[in-house]
Amino acid sequence: MESATTESADTGRRQEADRLKHAGWFSRLVHRPEIGAFSGMVVLLVFLAVVAGDVVYNPLGIKNNLSIIAQLGIIATGACMLMIAGEFDLSIGSMIGFAGMSMAVMLKWGLPFGLGPASPLAALLITLCITLSIGWLIGFIVVRTRLSSFIVTLSFLFILRGATEVCFRTFNGSTQVSGLPDYKQTDAVAALFGGETFQWFYDVLFWLGLNYNRAGDQWVTGFDAKVAWWLAIAGVAWFVLSRTQVGNWIYATGGNEEAARANGVPTDKVKVSLFMFTAFCATIFAATQVFDTNTADAAKGNLKELEAIAASVVGGVILSGGFGSIVGVVFGAVIFGLVQNSVFYISWIDGSYYRTFLGTVLLIAALSNETIRKRFTGGI
Amino acid sequence: MVQPLIRLEEIVKRFGNFTALDGVSMEVHPGEVHALLGDNGAGKSTLIKVLAGVHQPTSGRIYVDGEPVSFRNPLAASDAGIGTVYQDLALNALTSVTRNFFMGREITKGARPFGIMQTREMNRIAREEMGKIGIDIANPEQAVGTMSGGQKQTLAIARAIYFGARVLILDEPTSALGQKQQLEVLKTIKTVRNRGDIAVILITHNEIHAQLVADRYTFLSLGRVIGSGVADELGGGDIRRLMAGGAEMADLEQELATVP
Ligand SMILES: Nc1ncnc2c1ncn2[C@@H]1O[C@H](COP(=O)(O)OP(=O)(O)O)[C@@H](O)[C@H]1O
Ligand SMILES: [Mg+2]
Repeated sequence: MESATTESADTGRRQEADRLKHAGWFSRLVHRPEIGAFSGMVVLLVFLAVVAGDVVYNPLGIKNNLSIIAQLGIIATGACMLMIAGEFDLSIGSMIGFAGMSMAVMLKWGLPFGLGPASPLAALLITLCITLSIGWLIGFIVVRTRLSSFIVTLSFLFILRGATEVCFRTFNGSTQVSGLPDYKQTDAVAALFGGETFQWFYDVLFWLGLNYNRAGDQWVTGFDAKVAWWLAIAGVAWFVLSRTQVGNWIYATGGNEEAARANGVPTDKVKVSLFMFTAFCATIFAATQVFDTNTADAAKGNLKELEAIAASVVGGVILSGGFGSIVGVVFGAVIFGLVQNSVFYISWIDGSYYRTFLGTVLLIAALSNETIRKRFTGGI
Repeated sequence: MVQPLIRLEEIVKRFGNFTALDGVSMEVHPGEVHALLGDNGAGKSTLIKVLAGVHQPTSGRIYVDGEPVSFRNPLAASDAGIGTVYQDLALNALTSVTRNFFMGREITKGARPFGIMQTREMNRIAREEMGKIGIDIANPEQAVGTMSGGQKQTLAIARAIYFGARVLILDEPTSALGQKQQLEVLKTIKTVRNRGDIAVILITHNEIHAQLVADRYTFLSLGRVIGSGVADELGGGDIRRLMAGGAEMADLEQELATVP
């Protein structure tokens, strides 16, 4: 009798592994987690060049845009690392206000316990001790109680903002401090945070004849120091996350905490350290602000935590953790900062649309991240 | 007779009033696949959790190489060479094969925890170790989530062996897989057994799978051992009967016949 079934010649010799196409460099490139954010950034840069190139890409425009981007980039780096480990920090914005207050109050009224006037370095270091301790405390509460970090850090959002206002009022009778001496002119530490950096870039532009004011002198002299801080923090974070042992622990902790623990990863320590890292980033953010403007205000940093999370998501970080990259978040910060700053240069767009636009970008990013996650986890 | 790698003696495990294990004894030998069979709720998972340090037995003793041991936690068990491959496989689907293979035990240069991962060496080892038990992964940097179920099993098994497991506990490794992948896992189990130095405890619902690879059987029912033996002595009929908790096929047919 004729066999009812037919078999192709290579049945049985084909293996599961054969079904995975060997990816070429192009396919690997477009499957990188950063590709969405990168494409978005390129589109935005081109768009701005077309509609407002003269104001966005002139020497001052570049400086201003990069300042906004760098500020956001600093805290987004912290938020991203923490999110990859599976947790949130909603206290970043309040931490910025708190750290700024702490430094300004010390600079104006001296060190605690009447230990005399505070140098910028002392004010910064003492503030760092306080904010890192608070970051540790937040982390400790989260890992000990297993409460959602959303709730714990939301509590600290209120606690820190309230404490900041109370301290300002107690010392100054108002919710701000202004008129601090211009430390960055005299103090190296203050200059490191509030001064300028990469002056050579603008020197070269001047030399090329692209950077002069009406009087024919050099117009812009350098980038704000925060740009260097952003690059340094993002660079170190990138290295740690992608190349070191603790980087793998961070991914493992966020991707499958039970599995990580079963394999000997100290997941609690990883999380607590990262809560301290976001506090560190918030403090650096505050220092660049205080030493640049010589003022502090209780409202500083308001809503920054949400912008940091949004920039991370735009950069490809997945809300449930375990996936994302610093490179992506750099692109995310560029997109977010540019839109925030540059939409106001475009005369035919009402500047107030920028939030609407950002919200839309965020939604698109979150949807595409979800697609990636589904592809990797088999649709669960 | 050679000393068993692991001997369980009169293990009792109670959860409150409920006795999940009621005096279970068994022996596990290197170079053998020991099938642990029984109906749903018989206590198979509880037994291996006791062995893996997840649960502490209410009473009874565990011997490794003839020495009495007690595992306070899973880490203590894995240090003693007991590697458990759970159903969820303890993998992070979003990262690479290599990052999963070395999760928590990365090869690094420099001080912990900021030592630099030796990615190339780790990739090579992950690939080699998986190759040894029968699966060639083309790209150890591919995300685990993109692998087949059988390949994920192999990854988890290769990882346990590489990091020193002498007893490999597999809890229903074939249950969530398609036909072809089931076969892949069974092949892997055979390869591991043929090394000769590793004992495999295989929990399965599938009597055919058990017969294909097992050297020795233990049957559990309602927390007790209702039968055990080596493969050569047990016939297919015995296995089927004991898996059904000791009921004869005829009894079952009779019981079904009472349904109108
Ligand atoms: N942690 C626990 N607490 C209470 N009862 C449990 C617990 N774990 C298992 N049991 C009970 O013990 C019995 C055996 O379960 P289990 O070992 O999972 O069976 P099997 O794996 O053979 O299907 C079941 O009735 C189950 O409900
Ligand atoms: Mg079970």
